[in-house]
Amino acid sequence: MLKLVTILVAAVLTHNIALTYLLGMCPFISLSQRLKTASGMGVAVILVVVLTAAINWPIYHLILLPTNSELIYYIVFILVIAGSVQLLEMVMERFFPVLQAHFGIFLPLITVNCTVLAVSLFMVLRTYSFVTTLVFSLGSALGWTLAIVIVAAINEKLRLVGDVPKGLRGPGIVMITAGIIALAFLGFGGMVNIQ
Amino acid sequence: MTLRKLLGKEGYKTFMKGVWKDHPIGSMCLGICSALAVSNTVANAVAMGVGVTFVLLATAVIVSSLRKLIPLRVRIIVYMITISAFVIVVDKVLKAFFPDISEAVGPYVGLIITNCIIMGRAEAFYSQNTLPLSLLDAVANGISYSYTLISIAIVREILGFGTLLGFKVTPEGWENWVVMSLAPGAFFLLGIFLWVTRTLAGVEPPREG
Amino acid sequence: MNGRIRMIAFVLILASILTGALTSVEAWTKPIIARNEALKIKRNVMAALELDYEDAALEKTFADTVSVVEKEGRTFYVTDDKTVAFPINGSGLWGPISGVLAVEPDGVTVKGITIVHQEETPGLGSRIAEQAYLDKFRAKRLHQGIRITEEGKASGDNEVDGITGATLSCQAFARILNSEASANLPGVKEIQQ
Repeated sequence: MLKLVTILVAAVLTHNIALTYLLGMCPFISLSQRLKTASGMGVAVILVVVLTAAINWPIYHLILLPTNSELIYYIVFILVIAGSVQLLEMVMERFFPVLQAHFGIFLPLITVNCTVLAVSLFMVLRTYSFVTTLVFSLGSALGWTLAIVIVAAINEKLRLVGDVPKGLRGPGIVMITAGIIALAFLGFGGMVNIQ
Repeated sequence: MTLRKLLGKEGYKTFMKGVWKDHPIGSMCLGICSALAVSNTVANAVAMGVGVTFVLLATAVIVSSLRKLIPLRVRIIVYMITISAFVIVVDKVLKAFFPDISEAVGPYVGLIITNCIIMGRAEAFYSQNTLPLSLLDAVANGISYSYTLISIAIVREILGFGTLLGFKVTPEGWENWVVMSLAPGAFFLLGIFLWVTRTLAGVEPPREG
Repeated sequence: MNGRIRMIAFVLILASILTGALTSVEAWTKPIIARNEALKIKRNVMAALELDYEDAALEKTFADTVSVVEKEGRTFYVTDDKTVAFPINGSGLWGPISGVLAVEPDGVTVKGITIVHQEETPGLGSRIAEQAYLDKFRAKRLHQGIRITEEGKASGDNEVDGITGATLSCQAFARILNSEASANLPGVKEIQQ
């Protein structure tokens, strides 16, 4: 139990997938200008990351390993991710149209979001159990969302009150802001011991 | 200009676009993920640059040669399968012949698959252009990706580790700027890099909203 | 329907060709990768045991001078003069730390330590993997547990200097050494009888 809590805290704070591992940056740049879009993307990411991790684990451990085909696991994982995203889109359109209206546009972008594939890759690399994978994926997605929301909130404020130099507007200032937040998150280091 | 003569008018245009005007990272903001994570030492940056260029070339070969045959509806899946397969090749070759670098960049090699540059070029260019032009585009994008990574890596390695390609270059008593070898350093440097290139290239800032 | 079949067929054929190519790359690289792994462990054991070797002759030298003993699921590397080395694993500050610890024939003094893998802060915590730091553990005794002191203040034969700015990593490393020592020393003692 304690191990799961450790992994959750590590994934959100000390080993934040965006601010420590520098993953999932593409949408970071384009979507962290507005708090609303950032949080929308965050929710979509949480859904997809947990769903795909939950699907990829049994595929890797129950199908690929026993048949000695782990060689192609990259291909299988990315196809599963693409497929799950499609599935999620269809399900949302059919059963949760309100959600679809709010988050629908983000889904296609998530397929190439490094975060989703990375969580599955880490799960394999660190040989996590199924439950640990669920906790880890939730934590990572939460951490990513936390990071993008913080940066978006700051950037929104910055645009209102600050005088950002022309060349720095857009992606440039997002990077600088993210850097400062990443620096702050470094302070969490040492909170938990992770294996 | 001899390069222009060598590549022909179309070819030269394609090449220069990839290297400067439509710089994948600077103006199109693609492929940032790994640019940040892998640029902490020059050796890693070179390895990643070579890896991405290889996958770009291989993808260009497959997608461009088969472009008239790939059914429209499944083209994204085709790109994914192709890119993943060649990324696996890069991964295996690194593990076998450069195990130290493989340990350092490990999971990020797998993430070349989600590197927007490759998918983006496949969809926007290789699926609609001849093989020679596609190869040129692949080389051009590979070069610009590599030089971005390497320039950031040079600064990060010197400031953060005091070395360049493993050779100590800083004087005695130099205190390493550890922050440079960690995430925040990457963010700051990329921010500065974007600032410089976007100002020089006169890129318009994105519409607020 | 025809279009559908064409789509599926194309994807399947492409996937099969690529997988075929991949399988040959795998067959080519797999033995090399396995050998790299084995060599890495051997290099570290040799370094911890302070045995010299020429890179090209590593495997032969290893086979000649070190015997591998398996006891209760633990692996021990023993030399003729009964110096014993064993792998150590544990959590560092940022990630797992793994290495090799070698113990003198008296069963309690450190002969040498190497670190195989660590993910500590570059330039700070990761300095625990530097040879100059690991050398500080030489000739220290394990029976009371190693203690990390402020840099420059170590005096007893179970105290080792910490690295200023890397206290947590050093302490984590000492914790790993101590717990692995208590887990493995009984086995070492048996071998050295």
